[in-house]
Amino acid sequence: MQKQSAGYLFVLPALMVLGMLIAYPIAYTGLLSVTDNAGNFVGLNNFRRILAARATPTAFWNTLWWVFGSIIFQVVLGVLTAVLLNQNFRGRALVRSVTLVPWVVPGIVAATTWAWMLHTEFGIINYMLTAPGVIDRPVGWLTNGNTVMPVMIAINIWKMFPFVAIMVLAGLQSISNDLYEAARIDGASFWEEVWYVMLPQVRSVIVAVTLLLVIWALNHITIIYAITRGGPANRTLITPIQIFRTAFESVQFGQAAALSVMFFAVAIVIVFVYIKTLASNPEESR
Amino acid sequence: MKTLTMKMAIAATASFLAMSAGAWAGEVVWWTPNFNEARARQLVEKFQAANPEVKVKLEITTTDGLPQRILTALQSGAAPDVIDVQHGWVNGYAQNDLVLPLDDVLTQREDYIPAALEYNTWDGKLWGIPYRIETHAIIINRGDFKAAGLDPDNPPTTWDAFTEAAKKLTTNGKSGFAITGGGEVGNTIFRSLPFMWMLGGGIISDDGKQVLVNSPESIKAVTFYTDFFKNGLSPSSTLENDGTANRRLFIAGTVSMYQSGQFDIQSIRQENPNIDIGVIPVPHPEGGKTAAILGGWSFVVPSAAKNPDEAKKLIAFLAEAENQAALTDTFPARISAMDAERFNDPILKVFKEMLPFGRPVPAHPNWVQISQAYFDGIQRILLGDENVKDAMDGAAAEIEGLL
Repeated sequence: MQKQSAGYLFVLPALMVLGMLIAYPIAYTGLLSVTDNAGNFVGLNNFRRILAARATPTAFWNTLWWVFGSIIFQVVLGVLTAVLLNQNFRGRALVRSVTLVPWVVPGIVAATTWAWMLHTEFGIINYMLTAPGVIDRPVGWLTNGNTVMPVMIAINIWKMFPFVAIMVLAGLQSISNDLYEAARIDGASFWEEVWYVMLPQVRSVIVAVTLLLVIWALNHITIIYAITRGGPANRTLITPIQIFRTAFESVQFGQAAALSVMFFAVAIVIVFVYIKTLASNPEESR
Repeated sequence: MKTLTMKMAIAATASFLAMSAGAWAGEVVWWTPNFNEARARQLVEKFQAANPEVKVKLEITTTDGLPQRILTALQSGAAPDVIDVQHGWVNGYAQNDLVLPLDDVLTQREDYIPAALEYNTWDGKLWGIPYRIETHAIIINRGDFKAAGLDPDNPPTTWDAFTEAAKKLTTNGKSGFAITGGGEVGNTIFRSLPFMWMLGGGIISDDGKQVLVNSPESIKAVTFYTDFFKNGLSPSSTLENDGTANRRLFIAGTVSMYQSGQFDIQSIRQENPNIDIGVIPVPHPEGGKTAAILGGWSFVVPSAAKNPDEAKKLIAFLAEAENQAALTDTFPARISAMDAERFNDPILKVFKEMLPFGRPVPAHPNWVQISQAYFDGIQRILLGDENVKDAMDGAAAEIEGLL
């Protein structure tokens, strides 16, 4: 008993720092969500007002599109790249480093560059498509309501898939050669090797990386804010950007906090369900 | 927020006590934007020569993110003594007690453009001293006018004639008249709200009590504005274009007319000297008068300023007609300062003529959200999601909840 309390004493400083960094902001956000700008208690007024805003449901659906669209392609593309980079071929080191470039480029730089590349009048993408006659007139990638969100998702995929690739590659390289040999003796083809040897072995890596990607996509601001600010007409407005705009452009900290609290709850549920269903290893749960 | 303010006040006092050892009494810290830097330095020298007991410390700001930076400084209590801010921001500061009233600094009230003072007035007091004013006019490519068989010296003055001219100018991949539909909200407010005013409409009424955005007059004006895009007279990139993008398109020769202020003239001349630039007044509806939003900059003294008396002395000096004429990038807020030689450039003539038609945007605590709701409506129209009536009814419903 004596020993245990001494142990608590030792972790106390770390716990206090953690408490300051995690618990305080959460508690303060909770407090802000039920007060107005002058600090008066207003009950659930902030929640009512922000839920009544026309942009809120739009932002919610956009966020779902954004997260699922991004994650699926990031993981699939990332795993395929990892499998490719795990093969022996000439120039592999070079390809590996080049693959990492999108991940290394700072988000704001990438976003600004893409914004210019996609511009209807000056953009190189429209130039490359119109010059050889692939399309007759420039496409308004960022101004057409049907293309702007897919384009944002594509940029996010481009930015993040190298991260998946490099993490999965690290997992692949730790697979013992015996497993491949055993599979080959049993007559496994390459794709059977991928399916029965590689993927089960890196499952835990993929699960962890996907969880990270979900969290990052849910909290994302940079790319979309720098390119469209959530426009046109809220077509790319996702909830984190709505929170940012409500707080720092409209100076409605109470409503922004109310939205944050709800968003936090939804995010917790998503992450919890994900961990419960996908992350639990069938072997362990038995 | 009260507790927050308290905490900030305590923090500010602490930092003030810590800093006051370094900053000596009589030092005035002046935040001015980078475009003012060279002229501000000269004025500071002149001021120091006359007032050796006051030391002015110039700090240069950039306009990008400036509202947030100023708001943070004002609320944290660690503020400078004099700040250059846009007219439209002053009311928000005044309503939250973040700046000091400056009625005692202003002399010769009648020498100022009334709209500029109106901007800085709240609760019967003056909270900022305007020194720079400007409005938009329409910048045209005179060469394109001649090529289209139009007379640039006899430009269209009514909406109908203007639309006709824009149609004639839209040939060979050129767009007749570029409107904005992207970028910061303010870009589109500055360019479309005056058309609503010309018919007696608006986004909200001047007293901030009534929604006007879906009134028949406003809908007519919004239709006039957005039709330039719908009818293909504005570039296909309109939804991603702000004022800067339009200037770039004008410089590239793909746009023949666009709305802007005189600050664009210099860069057009520099980047494409081949363009023969002309300036025409913003067209008005048949039988109506033109209108424009009056923009510009004022000086404020934060409530947290360490040396407010010296700060007021500096502002009084900067507000002298001669000094205002020297500092402003566009036009001075004083009528007598307008006599200075530099405002006689013929290209400025139309901009000068537009000034009396300049009006302040309505001062409302929720103006940012109100203008955002309106702007979202404009974008829905441009995207083809909704017709003008539905989009403005939607905006009105949102704005109603914000008044």
